[in-house]
Amino acid sequence: MLKKIFTPEINGYLISNLVAFAIIGVNKYLIVDTHTNVGGTFVFSEFVIIPMLMGIIAAWFWRDLDLNGRALSAKSCINACIAMFLSSFFLGEGIICLIIVSPLLLSFTIGGAFLGRAMFRRKNDKVNISIIGLLIAVFIIDSTSEHHYENMVSDTITVNAPPSRVWKNVVAFKRIKEKNKFWLFRIGMPSPVESTVEGYYLGAKRKCIFSNGYTFDEKIVTYDEDHDLTFAVTNQPRDPEIMGHIDILQGQFLLKDNGNGTTTLTGNSWYKLYVFPTWYYDIWAQSITRNVHLRVMEHIKQLSEAK
Amino acid sequence: MFSFVTRYLGFLKSVPTLGLAFDGWLKLWALVTKPAVLDWMDEIEAEVLQWPDTTSVIHKYGVMQFNYKGKEIGHIHSNGLLDMLLNRSVKQTLIQEGRITDHHAFKNTGWISFYMNNADDKEYAIKLLQTGYDRLAAKHSTHYAKPPAYNAILPPYSMQ
Repeated sequence: MLKKIFTPEINGYLISNLVAFAIIGVNKYLIVDTHTNVGGTFVFSEFVIIPMLMGIIAAWFWRDLDLNGRALSAKSCINACIAMFLSSFFLGEGIICLIIVSPLLLSFTIGGAFLGRAMFRRKNDKVNISIIGLLIAVFIIDSTSEHHYENMVSDTITVNAPPSRVWKNVVAFKRIKEKNKFWLFRIGMPSPVESTVEGYYLGAKRKCIFSNGYTFDEKIVTYDEDHDLTFAVTNQPRDPEIMGHIDILQGQFLLKDNGNGTTTLTGNSWYKLYVFPTWYYDIWAQSITRNVHLRVMEHIKQLSEAK
Repeated sequence: MFSFVTRYLGFLKSVPTLGLAFDGWLKLWALVTKPAVLDWMDEIEAEVLQWPDTTSVIHKYGVMQFNYKGKEIGHIHSNGLLDMLLNRSVKQTLIQEGRITDHHAFKNTGWISFYMNNADDKEYAIKLLQTGYDRLAAKHSTHYAKPPAYNAILPPYSMQ
């Protein structure tokens, strides 16, 4: 009876996901928390080594099924999708996060499965153990290393209004009613809609409100009227959609009088990432931050240019 | 996408596992857009592995590589792109036929690239690999004789 349920195909899905989540669990609660004090950080290995191991483990269970390339690719996709579904369940990841992570998981799971197929065809246990040992060694080294990554994104637009008209809209602005253009905002990622401030002075508290009601609490740390508004983010929401994996540290608007009735408006944001590898996630972080900037700055432009 | 990645992100190819992941992505893309490519790769692999002293391994950049006695005959990316080394005169002859091109990265060498778009291209890819196999086999042995199993489909330009 059990043999009918736990076929090699099912075992490939089951055991590879079990091993993956067991490693993530141990890593999250033992290694990462005790050694680096960065609990909640997802390291490079969790998105690279684990999917590869999943592929290799699945390939081991599927080695006698004589799968062709199309079938192995398709089954590896299903395996990665099961892992993503389980991530939403056990790790509380939201749909946007899963969309962002899916290219990594799919690619490395498929790659791992083909690597596994090649390994088990050769039937060279020494080589196979060396490869798996190497992957585990990389995982342990990566997990116990300190991970820290901060970056800044800067965007500029020209507003056809003098700095004095732009300034008040920079400090606070009314609700944005324009439809979102950025595809991630359109499929449900929270986008900025309004900014409020308790006063036009240094130290004033500011709020940046997002489309789903989330609020970033901010404090003005530089108030140089018509030139520089810099604010530190003092509190930010934690939710499964991105916000748990990135901290926005500080924001800034710089206004430059072009001397012809126009203003060059520059938006800067500093952020810290808690997901690695940064060569992958920083592309997303920059794109999302840039689109937050542009949504706000285009709104400021519209308000400032209105007669 | 392939051209963009190899042109602008090619410097990442030496990062371990990235090539494997990129080829995994190409497999996913092929699975969605042109799954027959994956079948052709299997068929080519089955054919090439019938030739004496050939093996298929994973290329250092994650793609399917064919070897003759440990020397590379060629490799196939999972978007159906065959890359292989020929001698320059054979390469020139084949380029004039119009089906192959310079290698997508190594211009002015004996390397060539060939995209498989249909089943006929798969047959041509096998012929190209035969040519590469013959080149290596001839280098390796002065008493080399083509195995009869694939002699029949060898193109006339391959070893003459």
